[in-house]
Amino acid sequence: MTSLSEFLQVAPVAPDVLAPSLWLIIALPLLGAFICGVFGKTLGRANVHLIACSAVGGAFVLSVLAFWATSSMDLESRRLLSFFVNPFGQDRDYVRYAIAHDYGTWFSAGDFRVNFGLMVDHLSGILLLVITGVGFLIHLYSTSYMEHDPAYARFFAYLNLFVAAMLVLVMADNLVLLFVGWEGVGMASYLLIGFWYDDPAKAWAGRKAFVTNRIGDFAFLIATFLMVLTVGAFTRQADERDYTSVGTSSQRYASALEDKGPVTFLGLQKMAEALPDGGPGKVNLSTPIDSGPLEGYTFGGVMTAALLLFLLGAAGKSAQLPLYVWLPDAMAGPTPVSALIHAATMVTAGVYLFSRMSALLVLSPTAMATVAIIGALTSLLAALIAFAQDDIKKVLAYSTVSQLGIMFMGVGMGIFWAAVLHLVTHAFFKACLFLGAGSVMHGNGDETDIKKLGGLRHEMKWTWGTFFVATLAITGIVPLSGFFSKDAIFHGVHHNHLEGLHWVSGAVYYLGLLIAACTAFYMTRLYLLTFEGPRSKEARVAHAHESAWQMTLPLVVLAFLSVVSSVYAWPLLKASSDGRPQPVFENFLSPVFAAMNRVVATGKTVELDTSVPAMGDYVFAWLVAVSGGALAGFLYLKFFPARAGQPVPAFARAVRRAAQNKFYVDELYELVIIRPVKFTAFILFRVVDALLIDTVAVRGTAWVTARVGSALRYVQSGDAQAYAAVMALALLGGVAYALIQVLQ
Amino acid sequence: MVPIPYYLLLAAALFCMGMFGVMVRRNALVVFMCVELMLNAANLTFLAFARMHGDVIGHVSAFFVIAVAASEAAIGLAIVIAVFRSRGSVLVEDLRTMKH
Repeated sequence: MTSLSEFLQVAPVAPDVLAPSLWLIIALPLLGAFICGVFGKTLGRANVHLIACSAVGGAFVLSVLAFWATSSMDLESRRLLSFFVNPFGQDRDYVRYAIAHDYGTWFSAGDFRVNFGLMVDHLSGILLLVITGVGFLIHLYSTSYMEHDPAYARFFAYLNLFVAAMLVLVMADNLVLLFVGWEGVGMASYLLIGFWYDDPAKAWAGRKAFVTNRIGDFAFLIATFLMVLTVGAFTRQADERDYTSVGTSSQRYASALEDKGPVTFLGLQKMAEALPDGGPGKVNLSTPIDSGPLEGYTFGGVMTAALLLFLLGAAGKSAQLPLYVWLPDAMAGPTPVSALIHAATMVTAGVYLFSRMSALLVLSPTAMATVAIIGALTSLLAALIAFAQDDIKKVLAYSTVSQLGIMFMGVGMGIFWAAVLHLVTHAFFKACLFLGAGSVMHGNGDETDIKKLGGLRHEMKWTWGTFFVATLAITGIVPLSGFFSKDAIFHGVHHNHLEGLHWVSGAVYYLGLLIAACTAFYMTRLYLLTFEGPRSKEARVAHAHESAWQMTLPLVVLAFLSVVSSVYAWPLLKASSDGRPQPVFENFLSPVFAAMNRVVATGKTVELDTSVPAMGDYVFAWLVAVSGGALAGFLYLKFFPARAGQPVPAFARAVRRAAQNKFYVDELYELVIIRPVKFTAFILFRVVDALLIDTVAVRGTAWVTARVGSALRYVQSGDAQAYAAVMALALLGGVAYALIQVLQ
Repeated sequence: MVPIPYYLLLAAALFCMGMFGVMVRRNALVVFMCVELMLNAANLTFLAFARMHGDVIGHVSAFFVIAVAASEAAIGLAIVIAVFRSRGSVLVEDLRTMKH
């Protein structure tokens, strides 16, 4: 046992050797995308999926090495090997459990500079493993799922491109490089959702996702520029005391800024640490900014505004209110895409962003409360819509929106580690569910209506088993990971308090319990209608067939992972500070959230309770989940089959119709936003473009020139004497003028 | 000695006569002669001012004008002859080629 733990502590590749090669993790899938995209047609299918899978597989191996290296120890001296000097801190201020490499300036303008810097710490390391690991399984699955598609190579090129962009997103050490990945995944998801572009509905779905995402990205950009301005204002106004209190000096900070640029996460963290401390003469959250475009606003106010804009950005990518509408429509894309983008990776980018910026987020209780409330409302709305959806992928899509809402609740209430843990476990079980749904569709002639399935349990044994496990996991049944990660969030939400906004914690917690019951209900319904009971009479094929091993193997692996990853939520380790038991994952992520904890300790904006849930909490959460599932089981196994053929009560039908139509949110958007925008656009087109620009400006200029020309044409007679007469008249005029001047 | 203004008035009268001729006569040759008249009016002015200032700049200018007038007359007459050969007319009204 000691030899195993020693083996795990020593990375096969030393951190300082690996750090300069971090770019390879991104380059491999990018190369795969290039080869598949450019030479895909000539290579043949076998080569295409060999290249695509091995590119992601290679990235996975490198990610494992990088992840391993972040915790590497020297066995003899018992010293940590993976650390680097924080350029924004003092000489002895090390960033521990992280490897980083700066590949030099990407671009610079004045004192604004962006470096191409990559960093892997425990947070991004975990995400690397999820992206490349789950990504690899999904690639493997796709080799069978997309077997009969003519655009095979294009599909794998897009998938690889997506993985590369996602890796840029999580490995970036500054906001701008993160934004590159952020945009990259947006583009790749647009390409993948609209993959079958010859079907207009599917192309539209891609476009809707793209446009909705752009709204969020715009907010993200504005927030980034606000951060740049804030850092500038901070360095102008802060004096030496501000820097010494957080263990740095003004020269050190200024030279690091010159080196690394203002949007580096480490620099932003240092600034966040300096801000809440309100000693005499120090810059703090209520200090007004004295010059520049933000003059007159306080640091805290600007920070809140920037974080709310980041929230809008994250809402676009992570499908939260008010920008969640693209996700359910995005189910038009191929199923592996739904699993990769909409379950495992891209939609969790918002949660990742806020975890990365946790030190900034805890500066503003207002922003945190907004994040948590938006998360809770999104989650509840999506869960209610999921009740009545009959399309297997749509149910899963709404369930994703709902689970992301739960993660946002965690992030908003300051229980970051649990949100990240739920992100990871959700990636496993939701990818398993999506791939299971794909397998069901594959075996049933692309039937997606759960009312027309049923009874698959005996015909698709592997799919059934894995789907069952994943359903239990998302529902929150005890030994599975979903229960622990979700309950860790709810426990944290319940016990954390925001300064001045104490009611939020309770409100969000009870909404959370309702959501948990709803999740259990609709997931049980989905499972029962698909796999249990007799086979539907309207089924498209008489007998479903089990899918190939390329599809079942990823399902089994994901189901296995969604069981065993629960171990990370168990309080097995002792906290280094006070020796109390701490969940494995919290302990593991503590280096990442250390800055956040310091900000909380000085700023007192949030009251973080790091207690672990007691048995009573567990039992209560479990009862909530089971009651929801049991209700669904009771209704769909006993009640509804018995009433087959009988009309449903009018009230139930009305509720169902409203839920089925997604509570008319799309229609509301159509009425409130899209119609007015379209109308304004029409007016602008008619009045400004067609009338003012085309008629008055463009054709008007030509018209005036032509008229003047045709008038002057009569003057040009070719008669030399007429010209001479004109000259004489001009001369006369000149003489007259001269005379007047002389006489005066 | 005759005062300068008399020379200038004579020159102005000559110039106006020349200009009148240029504007109303139809025959191109007469028009040319009228142009010469205007140039001579200018020469007279130059010389009058040269006399007034007592230097030679005016004389030099007058020589230049005479040279230019001579060459202009030579080229102009050549053009008029060429036009007469091709068109059979030297009336300025008939010559509207400048329109094109």
